[in-house]
Amino acid sequence: MADSYMVDPDVGFIEEVSRLGGADVKKCFQCATCSVACPISPDTKPFPRKEMIAASWGLKDRLIGNGDVWLCHNCGDCSTLCPRGAQPGDVLAAIRAATVIEYATPKSLAKMVSDPKKLPILLAIPAAIFLVLGMLLKIVGIDWLNLNPTGDHLWQADYISNYLVDIIMIPTFLGAVTVFALGLKRFFVDMHANALAEGKTDKEKVDPAEFVQALIKIVPTIMTHRKFNECGENNERTTAHMMVLFGFIGLFVVTNCFFAAEWVFHIEGPYQQINPIKWLGNVAGISLVLGGLLLLKNRLAKKDQISSYWDWYLVGLVLTLGVTGMLTEMLRLGGMYDLSAFIYFIHLLSVWVLFAYTPFSKLAHIVYRTVAMAYQEYSGRK
Amino acid sequence: MPVKTHPFLCGKEGVEFLKKDIAGGTNTMVLAACSRRVNFDIFRFDGCIVDRVNLREGVVWSHPRSEFPALTEEEKEDEDNFDRVQMMAEDYIRMGMIRVEKVDLPEPYKLENLSRRILVLGGGITGMSAALDAAKADFDVTIIEKTVALGGYAAQVRSQIPVSAPYDALISPVVAKKIAEVEANPNIAVKTETEVARIAGQPGEFTVTFKKPGEKLPFDVPFPLPDEMMVDENGKELDVEKQREAYLAYNEGKNDILQLDPEGELFGAVILAAGWRPDDLSEGDYSHLGYGELPDVITNHQFEELAKVGKIIRPSDGKEAKSVVFVQSPGKNESDEDFAYAGAVTSMVSLKQAKYVREDYADGKAFIFYQHMRTPGFSELFYKGLQQDPGIFMTKGAVMGVSKNGNGMIVDVENTLLGEKLQVKADLVVLGAGMVPVTKDDPVVNLAYRQGPGFRDIDLFNGYVDSNFICFPYETQRTGIYAAGAIRRSMTMEESMDDASGAALKAIQCLESVNRGVSVHPRSGDMTFPDFFFQRCTQCKRCTEECPFGALDDDEKGTPKPNPTRCRRCGTCMGACPERIIGFADYNIDSIGSMVKAVNVPSEDDYTEPPMRILGLVCENDAYPALDMAGLNRLGYSADVRIIPIRCLGSMNVIWIKDALSQGMDGVFLLGCKHGDDYQCHFVKGSELADIRMKKIGDALSSLALESERVAQFEVAIDDYDKVPQIINEFVESIEALGPNPFKGF
Repeated sequence: MADSYMVDPDVGFIEEVSRLGGADVKKCFQCATCSVACPISPDTKPFPRKEMIAASWGLKDRLIGNGDVWLCHNCGDCSTLCPRGAQPGDVLAAIRAATVIEYATPKSLAKMVSDPKKLPILLAIPAAIFLVLGMLLKIVGIDWLNLNPTGDHLWQADYISNYLVDIIMIPTFLGAVTVFALGLKRFFVDMHANALAEGKTDKEKVDPAEFVQALIKIVPTIMTHRKFNECGENNERTTAHMMVLFGFIGLFVVTNCFFAAEWVFHIEGPYQQINPIKWLGNVAGISLVLGGLLLLKNRLAKKDQISSYWDWYLVGLVLTLGVTGMLTEMLRLGGMYDLSAFIYFIHLLSVWVLFAYTPFSKLAHIVYRTVAMAYQEYSGRK
Repeated sequence: MPVKTHPFLCGKEGVEFLKKDIAGGTNTMVLAACSRRVNFDIFRFDGCIVDRVNLREGVVWSHPRSEFPALTEEEKEDEDNFDRVQMMAEDYIRMGMIRVEKVDLPEPYKLENLSRRILVLGGGITGMSAALDAAKADFDVTIIEKTVALGGYAAQVRSQIPVSAPYDALISPVVAKKIAEVEANPNIAVKTETEVARIAGQPGEFTVTFKKPGEKLPFDVPFPLPDEMMVDENGKELDVEKQREAYLAYNEGKNDILQLDPEGELFGAVILAAGWRPDDLSEGDYSHLGYGELPDVITNHQFEELAKVGKIIRPSDGKEAKSVVFVQSPGKNESDEDFAYAGAVTSMVSLKQAKYVREDYADGKAFIFYQHMRTPGFSELFYKGLQQDPGIFMTKGAVMGVSKNGNGMIVDVENTLLGEKLQVKADLVVLGAGMVPVTKDDPVVNLAYRQGPGFRDIDLFNGYVDSNFICFPYETQRTGIYAAGAIRRSMTMEESMDDASGAALKAIQCLESVNRGVSVHPRSGDMTFPDFFFQRCTQCKRCTEECPFGALDDDEKGTPKPNPTRCRRCGTCMGACPERIIGFADYNIDSIGSMVKAVNVPSEDDYTEPPMRILGLVCENDAYPALDMAGLNRLGYSADVRIIPIRCLGSMNVIWIKDALSQGMDGVFLLGCKHGDDYQCHFVKGSELADIRMKKIGDALSSLALESERVAQFEVAIDDYDKVPQIINEFVESIEALGPNPFKGF
C-alpha cells in the first residue's frame, strides 16, 4: 500500500513536548471539541485536533514544519472546553517551543535556553564577554571600561563606553539575524511541504513577490492584534501583549535614532528630557514594564493555562529589560551614578541576552508566527 | 353466607375487624377491595384462605363513572337497561366466591435429607470469592477445582486490571490473598483435580458424584441422544422404542439418571463458577492477520504467558519485542466486531499488556488498534491512566492485514483517527481473542436431569450460562444452581468478585427457602407445588419436556417424577397437560375454570342488545401490574372484559378457552410478556408456549365454526400500562365486528 503512512512514533519528541508544557497531550481522545471551539482555526483542515493526535503519537515530522501551530494564539478556548483536560492550547505552545529549538543553530544552545538549570551559564556568557573584552582592551591601552570615573555629572557611558557596547552588540545582533535566516529557510521549506502534503494549499511553488505582498497584508492584522482579539478565554492577554510589542518597537526605534545620533551626527548623550525621541523612549520603556507586569499577573492568575519555564523566561526578560532600563535612567537623574552604572551593566546583559538568544527562545515567535501568518494569507486557505 | 362491609379494610380497625372474624372461626374470606398486588402483607392471614377481588384498580378506577355513567332512576325502571360497571363488579365477586371453594390451603413440601452445604464448581477468583462469602455466612462450602491448584486464570497473569480506587494503574494479582483466605477458612473444603460426574436430585438434596478429570464412572451422567442418532439410515425418525434402545447404547455403562449414587455427597445448592478459557481462535479465518502463519502473531493469552515468565520476546527467534501491535477487531473494513467473546475485559487487557511492553523496555512502543475501546464505569480511569504513557499509541481503525517484513512484520490499518492509512512495523502482533465460557464446550454441571446434563440452549446466550439478565442475573434455568463470573459474561476480576457475592446470596436464599418448603424464586415464598393425579397420566411426557426448569424426570415408562424443590411454580406443566391432572393447592384447572364459568354471560333472552363478554387471561407478573397501573392512572378500558390473572401464560390450559367460548363468551385474549431476544418472562418462555398452544386452538375453533380471531394473544411489558387499555379496546371492537358468539344462550 503505497499511499499508507509509515508511522514511527518518536517517544523522545512526546517527552520533549511534555517538558515544554504539553504534558497533558496524551489525555486527548480525539473528540475534536478543540477544533470546534477554536475561534481562529480555518474551516479546512482545522487545528488543533490533528496536531493533538500527531503530538500524542510523537509524529515530529508532522508538527515541526507545521504552519498551523503558529496560527494559534494560545487564547485557551480549546483548553477550557477540552473534556479531558488535554490542554490543546498548551500543547501547541509546547510544539512551538520545540519548533524554535529544532530550527535553531546550534541546537544545543536552544536546549540550554529552554533549561532553567542552564540560566546562570547563559547569563555568565555576556558578563564574561563585556568584562574580559573590556579588560583586554585596557591592557592594550583602550580604556572603554572605567570602574571609577570622576566628574560631577556622570552617565553610564563614562563607566562602560558606547564603543564597547556597540562592538559587542552589533555582531551579536547580526549573528542573531543570521541564525534566524538559517532557521527560517528550513522552516519555510518544511512548512510549504507540510501544507502541500496535508492539502492546505494548492500552490505548488511559492512566488516570492506574492509572498511579500501577503506579508505586508498581514502587518495591520498583527499590529492591531486582530487575530488575538478573536480569542475568547484569554482576551485580557491582548492588552499586555500589545503593550510589550509596542514597547519593543518603540525602544527599537529609539535605539536606532540614538545610534544614528551618536555615530552619524556625533551628538553625545545623555540627551535632554525634552527631546521627543527621549519621550518616545520613556513611554516605550514604561509600556514595556507595565506590559511585562500585566503578563506576569495574567500568568499567575490563570489557573487553567500551563506556564512553563519557556514562558517565564520571556516574561522575566521583558521585565528585566524594562526595569533595568528605566532604573538606569532614574538613578542617573537622581545622581546615584555608581548604582546606575551597575544597573546599566545588568541592562546591557539583558539586551545582549535579548539579541543573542531570541532565535533560541520563545521570543522567536515574532519571526516564526509572522512568517506562518503570511504564508497562511498567501496560501489562500479558507 | 355472611357479608360484611368496612369503610377502611386495610386500616388498623379494618384489620382488627377481620381478625375478630377469624378468631370467631372464619377460615375463608373473599375481600372485595383493592388489587391483590397491594397490601398483600396486611391481608395475609395464616391458615385462612383469602381471595382478593380487585374492585378498586380493576373496576372502579379503570371504569370511572365519567366514562361509564350509572343508570338513572328512570333508566332503572326499564329492565332492558343495564349497568356495565355494576355487572363487572358482580362478576368479579362471583368469581372470587367460587375460587375460594375450589382451592385449598397449601402445605409445604419438606425434604427428608436436607443438606445445607454449598458446592462451588471452580476454584478461580469467582469460585473462591463465592465460597468465602458463603462461608462467612456460616455455610459449609466445598470448592472443586479441575486443575491441581486453586487460582484459575487469575493466578496465570503477570499483573492485573485494578480492583479498587484509584483504578488508574496495573496492580499485582490479588488471587494469592484469596487463596490464603480460602485455605485458612475452616468452613471451606477444597478438592483439586476434581470434576463433577453427575449432580442428581434436587435443591436441598443434590447427590453429587465426584471424579478425577478424564475418569469414566458408572455415575457419569448419561447424555441425551444427539439429533443425528434419532433417525435411521433413511433419515426417518426412529420410533420411541428404537430411540430408547439407541439412547441406552449411546450411554452404555452409565447408570440412569434416576439411580442415585449411594456414595454420592449431599449438597443443598451449587454455585457454578467454572469461568472461561482463552479463545485459541481455531474457529474463524484470521489468515489476513497472519495468525497461524507468522510465528510472531499470537493471542493475548499467549502474550500473557510470555509476560508471566519474563521480558516480552518474539516466539520466532527469542529477540526482544519492542514494537508490539494489539489488534482488537479482525473484521477489516467490513465489520467492526471484535473477536468472538471479546468485550470490555479484552479492551482492558490490551491496555494492560501494552503496559507490559513499556515496563520491559524503556524504548518500547505498544500500539492498540481498536474498533471499540470499552472501559465502562471506573475502568475509564484505568484507560486514562494508561493513556498517559508516552509509548502507548491508540487509535480506532480497521486492521487490514499483517505481512512479513524482513525479520519483523508490517501492520496495515485504515480509517484511523490520524485521518489516513497507516503502516506500523511490529516485532510482535497480539490478537485480542475473547473469553470463551466453558459451558460452550461442556455442560460442566452434568445434571442427572431428563432434559439433559446442561442448561437448555434457548439460542439467546451464545454459550454463556443462561440467565434472564433483566431481572434475575444469577439464576440459571436450573433452580439451586447459580452462575457467577466469566461463565455468565466476560468480567474483570473486580466484577467477578462482586458477582460471586450475588451468587452466594442466591445459593443461601435457595437453602433458606427449601428448608421451609417454599419456592425460591421468582415466586419467593410460594408454598404450593404441582400435584399430579397419576392414575390418569397417559405418559405423554409433555410436562417433562415443556417444564422450563427441567423439574420433572420421567421414568422408563414415561411417568413423570416431580422434584418439587427444582420447581418454580409457574404451572407450565399444568398448562401443558392434556389430561389436566396437574394442579396446585390454590391454582388449578378447576379453580380457574370455575371462575370462567362464574362469569354471567347475558344473552338475547336477558336484554335486547346484550353486552359482549370477553375473557382476559393475564400474566400476573407483567401484564396484570400494567392493568393495575392503568387503573391507577384512571385509564379506562371496556367494561365487558373479565380479567383473570394467571401465574404465567405457560400455565394457560386451553380448556379454559373452550370453557369460555362454550358458555357463550364472545372472545378470549391472553396478555403476556414479550418473548424473543430480550425476553421478560419470569419463566423463560411462557408466552412462547402459549403462542404455540394458541396456534393449535385455532384449528379446534374452526371445527366449531368459530372464527379463530375470537382468540388472540398480546404482548406487553410491565411499563406498557398506557398501551394496555388500547390493546383491550381494539380487541373488543374486533369482536364486536364479528358479532356475538353463536353458542350464546345455549
